[in-house]
Amino acid sequence: MSDVKGKVLKHGEQTRTMHWLHLICFLILGLTGIGFYWNIGWINDLFGGPANASLVHRWTAVVFTAGPAIYILLNFERFSKFIDTISTFTRDDIQWLKTMGGYIPFLKGKVPPQDKYNAGQKILGWVVILGCLLFILTGFPMWLWRHAVSPAFLDFCYTVHFWDAMIMMLAVLGHFFLAAIHPQSRVEFSSMMLDGYVDAGVTAHHNAKWFANLSKLE
Amino acid sequence: MVSILAEKGGITRRQFFKGAGVLAVVAVVAGVFAKIGIDMFKVSDDYIAKRAAGLYTLDEKMAIRKSHENPEIIQLYKDFLSPGEVKPMTEKAHHLLHTRYGQDIPALLEELRHYQGEAA
Ligand code: HEM
Repeated sequence: MSDVKGKVLKHGEQTRTMHWLHLICFLILGLTGIGFYWNIGWINDLFGGPANASLVHRWTAVVFTAGPAIYILLNFERFSKFIDTISTFTRDDIQWLKTMGGYIPFLKGKVPPQDKYNAGQKILGWVVILGCLLFILTGFPMWLWRHAVSPAFLDFCYTVHFWDAMIMMLAVLGHFFLAAIHPQSRVEFSSMMLDGYVDAGVTAHHNAKWFANLSKLE
Repeated sequence: MVSILAEKGGITRRQFFKGAGVLAVVAVVAGVFAKIGIDMFKVSDDYIAKRAAGLYTLDEKMAIRKSHENPEIIQLYKDFLSPGEVKPMTEKAHHLLHTRYGQDIPALLEELRHYQGEAA
């Protein structure tokens, strides 16, 4: 690592709160969803039976939708910067993808300097945004329009909703592995899950481009 | 002393337009989707209204619209259900005109057999 001393504030309080809220909602939604898709008794019973599990799923979905919406409205600048970062793909990002950030032992090559988020995290950002939009656009019709729309359309929503859930759960599992388990990347764990800070040396190494533009708070 | 580093405040024009652009796209997609949904409710309401109107029209065209004024029913009461007069709710009418469902069907068949061959 580099010999820069100090720490970097990576994620503010509201960002961390929103991330926690969304994570908890996602777990509840995923669990109840799996429960009623495969009709698994003990999961449904955790939520007071299938009918209640369905209600828990729907009202958790309201929080799942409203949480980020309120966050974005309150933190429009933060959101805009995030969108800017994840929509900027340069040669360095392509090179990161070619070497997979050095995470895969047999993929050799120099890992180029990265923004606040590396190319993999940028892609995850888009996956989450699109995945959540699909959940919202299919889930609410499944709840509120079920008696008005055609059975074919409802069936289409159920199918998209289900596959969205499968893909998102895999994506989140991968994200969890890198953020909490992998020894090279879990050093950032506390920046989102606890106090918001990352070691400055780690940041200078992992997010060199972003680090170059930071300024001193104290 | 440990130094604390953070991002500078404020956003550039480019960042603003990207953020606003994504929100605008989401708003448009959600709007289009909501419009589709509302239109579907309209189509469904329309259909229900037309179907109801059709049933009322058919009913209005019927020559006989009330069962108690139907000459064939009146005749049936006179000849069989309440011989000699038109009197609803006789024992026979009660047993023959009320049906039963499910597990009670065998008993009903038994009863009907009991009236077999009987005529006024
Ligand atoms: C805005 C967010 C969401 C809304 C409005 C929503 C709504 C719904 C509704 C109404 C159902 C129908 C089940 C029932 O009749 O009770 C459902 C099913 C389901 N949901 Fe969600 N949901 C959302 C997010 C999620 C998330 C984040 C996941 C997974 C991580 C998920 C996984 C599932 C699964 C697996 C099913 C069963 C699908 C099927 O039967 O084909 N949902 N959802």
